[in-house]
Amino acid sequence: MTSNMRKSAVALATVAVAFLAACQAGSSSGNGTASPGTADASLAVGLTAEPASLDFTKNDGAAIPQALLYNVNETLVKVDQSGRVVPALAKSWDVSSDRTTYTFHLVQGAKFSDGKPFTADDAKFSIERVKSDWTISLKSAMDTVDTVSVTNPTTLVVKLRHPSNDWLYRMTTRIGAMFSRTGVGNLATKPIGTGPYLFSKWVRGDSITLTRNDRYWGHEPYFKTIALKYFKDPTAENNALLSGTIDVNGAVQSPDSLGQFENNPKYQVIEGTTNGEVVLSFNNGSGPLKNRKLRQAVKYGIDHKALLDTCWAGKGKLIGGMVPPTDPWYEDLTGLYPHDPAKARQLLKESGEAGRTLRLRLPTLPYATACGQVVKSQLDQLGFKVKIDQLEFPAAWLSTVFTNADYDMSIVAHVEPRDMPAVFGDPKYYTRYGKPALRTLLQKADEGTPDQQVTYMKQAARMLAEDAAADWLFVLPNLIVADKDVTGLPKNAISESFDLTQLGRR
Amino acid sequence: MLLRLLRRTSVFLASLVVSSIAVFGFMAVLPGDPARVALGVDASASAVRRLRAEFGLDRPLVNQYASWVHGLVTFHLGDSYVSRAAIGPQIADRIQVTLWLAVTAMVIAVVIAVPVGTVMAMRHRRLSGLLLSGLSQVGVAVPAFLAGILLITLFAVRLRWLPANGWTPPAANPRMFFEQLVLPAFSLGVVQAAVLTRYVRSAVLDVLREDYLRTARAKGLRPAQALVRHGLRNAAIPVVTMLALQLATLLVGAVVVERVFVIPGLGSLLLDSVANRDLIVVQDVVMILVVAVLVVNFAVDLLYVAIDPRLRTGTS
Amino acid sequence: MTAMDAGPGVELASAAIGAPRRGRGRNASLVVGAVIVGLLIVMALLSFVWTPHDPTLVDASARLRNPSAEYWFGTDKFGRDVFSQIMVGSQTALFVGVAAVGVAALVGVPLGIVAGMGPRWVGEALMRFNDLLLAFPALLLAIMFAAVYGGSTLVAMIAIGIASIPNFARLVRSGTLQVMRTEYVLAARAAGRHPFGIGLRHVLPNVSGLVVVQASVGFAIAVLAEAALSFLGFGTPPPTPTWGRMLQSSQELLWEAPRLAVFPGVAIAVAVLGFNMLGDGLRDYLDPKLEDR
Repeated sequence: MTSNMRKSAVALATVAVAFLAACQAGSSSGNGTASPGTADASLAVGLTAEPASLDFTKNDGAAIPQALLYNVNETLVKVDQSGRVVPALAKSWDVSSDRTTYTFHLVQGAKFSDGKPFTADDAKFSIERVKSDWTISLKSAMDTVDTVSVTNPTTLVVKLRHPSNDWLYRMTTRIGAMFSRTGVGNLATKPIGTGPYLFSKWVRGDSITLTRNDRYWGHEPYFKTIALKYFKDPTAENNALLSGTIDVNGAVQSPDSLGQFENNPKYQVIEGTTNGEVVLSFNNGSGPLKNRKLRQAVKYGIDHKALLDTCWAGKGKLIGGMVPPTDPWYEDLTGLYPHDPAKARQLLKESGEAGRTLRLRLPTLPYATACGQVVKSQLDQLGFKVKIDQLEFPAAWLSTVFTNADYDMSIVAHVEPRDMPAVFGDPKYYTRYGKPALRTLLQKADEGTPDQQVTYMKQAARMLAEDAAADWLFVLPNLIVADKDVTGLPKNAISESFDLTQLGRR
Repeated sequence: MLLRLLRRTSVFLASLVVSSIAVFGFMAVLPGDPARVALGVDASASAVRRLRAEFGLDRPLVNQYASWVHGLVTFHLGDSYVSRAAIGPQIADRIQVTLWLAVTAMVIAVVIAVPVGTVMAMRHRRLSGLLLSGLSQVGVAVPAFLAGILLITLFAVRLRWLPANGWTPPAANPRMFFEQLVLPAFSLGVVQAAVLTRYVRSAVLDVLREDYLRTARAKGLRPAQALVRHGLRNAAIPVVTMLALQLATLLVGAVVVERVFVIPGLGSLLLDSVANRDLIVVQDVVMILVVAVLVVNFAVDLLYVAIDPRLRTGTS
Repeated sequence: MTAMDAGPGVELASAAIGAPRRGRGRNASLVVGAVIVGLLIVMALLSFVWTPHDPTLVDASARLRNPSAEYWFGTDKFGRDVFSQIMVGSQTALFVGVAAVGVAALVGVPLGIVAGMGPRWVGEALMRFNDLLLAFPALLLAIMFAAVYGGSTLVAMIAIGIASIPNFARLVRSGTLQVMRTEYVLAARAAGRHPFGIGLRHVLPNVSGLVVVQASVGFAIAVLAEAALSFLGFGTPPPTPTWGRMLQSSQELLWEAPRLAVFPGVAIAVAVLGFNMLGDGLRDYLDPKLEDR
């Protein structure tokens, strides 16, 4: 069970931005075949939320894997645009009939950027190091691993304590990143990996520069250098694209501003979906929202369509549950709590909490600030008393809401892939939920066959939604604006990485 | 005079000490453990303990203060708790950026303010002078970030003459450096010019009333000639003082403008570090800005002592 | 941002009583400034009881309307009435101004009087303390406070207030030094009056003009600083409208709806202009010699 209870690092909403990428060739919006490219082609990609450190083994925050995963640090397996697990540093793998033993067959000739070859010993080292040295909460995904053994330099055998659908999936995330046995001394400032790009330079407050790995074992990427430029302010990012400072805005944070690009033949606008569920989270553990009737009242009281139209320009999708449309067990649950002001008022009265002030504690992130004001306005009209507190993100929000659960409601995008168990399966997580019935379902889903997984996950999602454990406002759209001739941009953002390897220019 | 110099210097040094204690003390009362904040919310207790030991956060405050000051003086600022990157080189880079911005803005302010202020003074009863005066009033009332937004909208977004934001070191690409510097420097500079103009005007007006200028005019010099030959030097003293005082506030004012133009200067570092609770960096940057202000004030003091004979004797 | 006030005060303090000649220009300054400030106060008071629309009411069907008879300044992306927000925004601007100037005057004025009346070393020491405070501009203080307590109206008021103390103290001290040299004070001292009584009966009334002028200028500074703070996100939290945050959030729509930046921008500039002109006008009114500068 514990393996399911990863406390997702949260998502660090930072990232709410989610635009990850992950496209395998052919599934991306362009023609996807990044040819070896001109000798010195370069590209500048604008992103939000600069990482605080480059060491994702010790620091939460989705910005680090977004930049490094698949690009600098490769994994044994990765996810494609449709969410399937596909080969990466493992060219194939076998699963035993009891689904507890995985045998990975590794590629040959892969080298780390420090010159050392990549072997099964490095893979074993990397997997075991998660348990011994990592400090982020996501590491618990490895708890399910029993033993790791090396058969020969290209064969790795991993034994799990119990069958786990989730484990292999987690191997596509940062947890599965492969490190060199001699290259983990200075991950915070000098990451070393086998990827098609080498980390070259980090100007804090400005950009991270990656350069092409000329000794890469696989298909060489098109661009020689890619600069990831970070913008706190969405408008500054738009302006940078308009003035040519960047070629790609990989994370549009102000959907209202898209109009200026949609009508401009110089640019392409890509609209897809992400893993980022924007959650109006409730404190299920203490305070007024422990009361289910009040939680239901809030859910009936919110007009999700109007909310999406005002705070995110109508982009994105209403979901009604903790599953993004790209997951196999997605169901439209918006019908469970349709907008019903009368019912909301009635439930509010019945709950006996009518006079209580609800503290809506928001991180200082564009979508949270925008949607929070809409939530307050809508609820206030129905007789709720909502008070907004803004908490500086990440630090203040993390310590107040996330660690101490000192809040009644908050808004944050959970962008980790398949994060329902993480967010609601653990009673100590800030949602303070983790009811036993849900945990049982999640465990069954993890240990069952893939078909059973889908069935149980659907049940779990519905149970959560019916119990009003949170209100799901919408799933963030993947919005990318780029120069017309840039190819290989991912339509959907469903991995932790912004995959740069498929990018090219027409 | 020597005595006065000594006293000024000791006051300056005392100010440094007091302000460093204030900054350190203030940051020390911050809620939240910097080590826990740096490691993220789910780090194990032992990892937090290890980091506290590594950064010396488990020592008594007095020791922490002493080693912090020692680090400041020798500019060995140690590593950030969060990014583990060395702070010294980072701050050195940022200072250069902010200095470029502030100094360019100051030059722009002077280039605009001195002639305009002088004209305003010489024509202070005429329509043109009144108009300029009104204009400077409006300029004073416009915050630099508003000026920045307006300049971006006009010159970057609409006309596309200049980049909307960003920063390139001058050595890397001088042309790009210049293009990216223009708008932020003007945002800061024009607003400062408006402030400065009013001081130039009143300084020149003072000089115009002086006897020696009347004498010069009686000798047949035209007003402008008289002013240039005899007046400007005298008008310069208060203006230079003001300029120095403004340079200090300009450094701080650059914080907002850096945010608007996405410039990786000290201000952005400060704001980002606040958001990341990178407390040691916040502390260092605040202290450096405070020291900058104190140093400039001290320099102005010395300048007064050097220039103004009345002040030399110490009768204020 | 905070430097613009140091000079005029000093000018005023060092001016002797001079020729009573009054220029038209400066009277105009007083009138225009008073009218603007008056309108601002009326608008803020009115907004407590009436605004054309609820400034925080989100209305998806009324997004980004152009100015019309119904929405005088149009609506923002939440369908909220911009004019109503501007009106309510003046509350925050004035409230922060009152509190900041209050804090600054309450501390700065006594400090200045004591520094001016007391023994030389006391004056020197207090003024050095004053210089030290000058090294902590409002913005820097507010960012430090916000790092500890988070952004709020209170943080903005206190930070701006503390940063404005030196302006008052310096000005009042030079005013006090002058008053102390006047014959009636010398006489009072010779008569053995208690310094406290002298301070209250002679010094305070005589420097009150300076304080009023500085208060007006201080208001202008406070409005500017508050705008900068809420622009950076360290000021009054949403949904309470503030001019700075309106400006900040207008940025993403500069293409579609530049008016969203224009209205709060103009509001800030006009308010600052008003207080500055009022300050200038008052200075001339109270001290006519300066009319001509």
